[in-house]
Amino acid sequence: MATKVQTETGGAIWKCFVRNGQAVAAGEELFIMEVMKMEVPYEAPVAGIVTDLSIAEGDVVPEDHVALVLT
Amino acid sequence: MSWREEADRIRARREAATAQGGPEGVEKQHQKGRLTIRERIDAVLDPGSFDEVGRTAGDAEVGANEELLSFDPANFVLGFGTVGGRPVVVGGEDFTLRGGSPTLAGLRKSVYAESLALESRIPLIRLHEGSGGSVGTPKRPTPPSAVFDAPRFRSVAETLAAVPVASAALGAVAGLPAARLVSSHFSVMSKSTAQILVAGPAVVQRAMGENLSKEDLGGAQVHAKNGTVDNAAEDEAGCFADIRTFLGYLPSNVWELPPVQPCDDPLDRADDALVDIVPRERRRAFDMRRLIGHVVDQGSFFEMGRGYGRSQITGLARLDGRPVGLWANDGRFLAGSMTADGAQKARRFLELCETFHLPVVSLIDEPGFWIGSQAEKEATIRHGSNVVLTAAMMSVPWASVMIRRSFGVAQAAHYGPGGYVLAWPSAETGPLPVEGGVAIAYRREIEAAPDPEARRRELEEQMAAKQSPFPRAEAFAIHDLIDPRETRPMLCRWLARQGPKLATLLGPPRFLPRP
Repeated sequence: MATKVQTETGGAIWKCFVRNGQAVAAGEELFIMEVMKMEVPYEAPVAGIVTDLSIAEGDVVPEDHVALVLT
Repeated sequence: MSWREEADRIRARREAATAQGGPEGVEKQHQKGRLTIRERIDAVLDPGSFDEVGRTAGDAEVGANEELLSFDPANFVLGFGTVGGRPVVVGGEDFTLRGGSPTLAGLRKSVYAESLALESRIPLIRLHEGSGGSVGTPKRPTPPSAVFDAPRFRSVAETLAAVPVASAALGAVAGLPAARLVSSHFSVMSKSTAQILVAGPAVVQRAMGENLSKEDLGGAQVHAKNGTVDNAAEDEAGCFADIRTFLGYLPSNVWELPPVQPCDDPLDRADDALVDIVPRERRRAFDMRRLIGHVVDQGSFFEMGRGYGRSQITGLARLDGRPVGLWANDGRFLAGSMTADGAQKARRFLELCETFHLPVVSLIDEPGFWIGSQAEKEATIRHGSNVVLTAAMMSVPWASVMIRRSFGVAQAAHYGPGGYVLAWPSAETGPLPVEGGVAIAYRREIEAAPDPEARRRELEEQMAAKQSPFPRAEAFAIHDLIDPRETRPMLCRWLARQGPKLATLLGPPRFLPRP
């Protein structure tokens, strides 16, 4: 089943550790956003393969943005 | 002679009443994917526990021999039942009759719901779908009620200070029912079937020139994010589950203590993950909800208001089976700062805890009030000060755990009178975070330094060291500095000691809770 990873707030993508096709384990750090001077890490909610990656370092993204999908 | 004829007539009325708006009305309701009020009541209560009040209320038309020609049931269904084996009052509009717009007896039953809960001193559940008055001509015109009668909303206000009130929006809820929906301690709306509206699309189009659907005006995407309702559930079943869960943490009234449940989660469980959960990098946020999960009884955290005031996390939980109100900061959202809406959410939450004698556990990572032009526009200081003063006047037992940041005036909201204060080694506290404070207090010294940036960093490190919790613990300025893994055992032991104090606090709150 596909699991979407969505941003909880708007902010800037500070670091992105994954690319399309990469296998990740549950709990692995996927990317870090910068929100109000805080670095907010996003971890994989489930294990899977990264697809539909739609963020890059430096991007400013809105709330509820689908950053990637895990399949 | 007997009363068989009358008995038959009573039965005929009751049968007509359970038919609601007739097979067509019921079918229409089902086609829209919504339950009828009687199905809703059966679903929220323990199976088979509904005991109706006012089964013959309605407009009867009778023939020459008193035979029933037609019967329009009162379009508000009311009665008693149980949730988790404990008695409650439950009621809601019947949308299959006049779209839930009240009939005379329907309105009387609706208004009486609060009286019934108040008299019985048991929780009230309101399941809403309907609108307020209609300007259309009723079947039988009645004389207008006196404006100088007792205010209709007085019992609504009094109920909030006496028994738990939980409500759900299950279809379109407009006008009067919308006001009653939010006049509750916990409200939930169904994302798939409900809208909440002061006035519907036709009225809005006429008065405001806005052409919007019911969903655009008052769907969950609007009201789950603005605090109109506490929670949004996927569907009606989700709403009923939320209401049952919510009531499970609360006493039946303000004269009883919250119910204690057996607990098989060891009170001395000390999860190792807690010692690593707060990153050493001071700007790195962490997942407060995960932290909460390691501390409270497994699976016991019931979050309320997740969609708004999101820098603050509020909910109910259990520690060794005993209910508590749990309040924490979410550093992932606006750094966990006290925003205007976060403050309103926290104030209302604290009032819930005070009213129903739920001890408060506060897990603190508070950087201070939200700042900047938007924060000023939203009157953050007024709403923020409101929660600070609310906390200062609380009487229920309160435990605060300084997890990370605890800064500014806003931090005062997280400590109750006579509270128990623990700190993690990651705790930092002071008038404001070093990053802002050093730049202001040492501006001249930094500017005069050969390498201003290096001097600033040096000063920041010195100041950060001063904000360490060790000197505070040594000076007994906090009750204890603890290994994060000890949090659950220590809070469980603290809570177990609060029984005698809680027993002395029972009775109505010193204030009247507001929606």
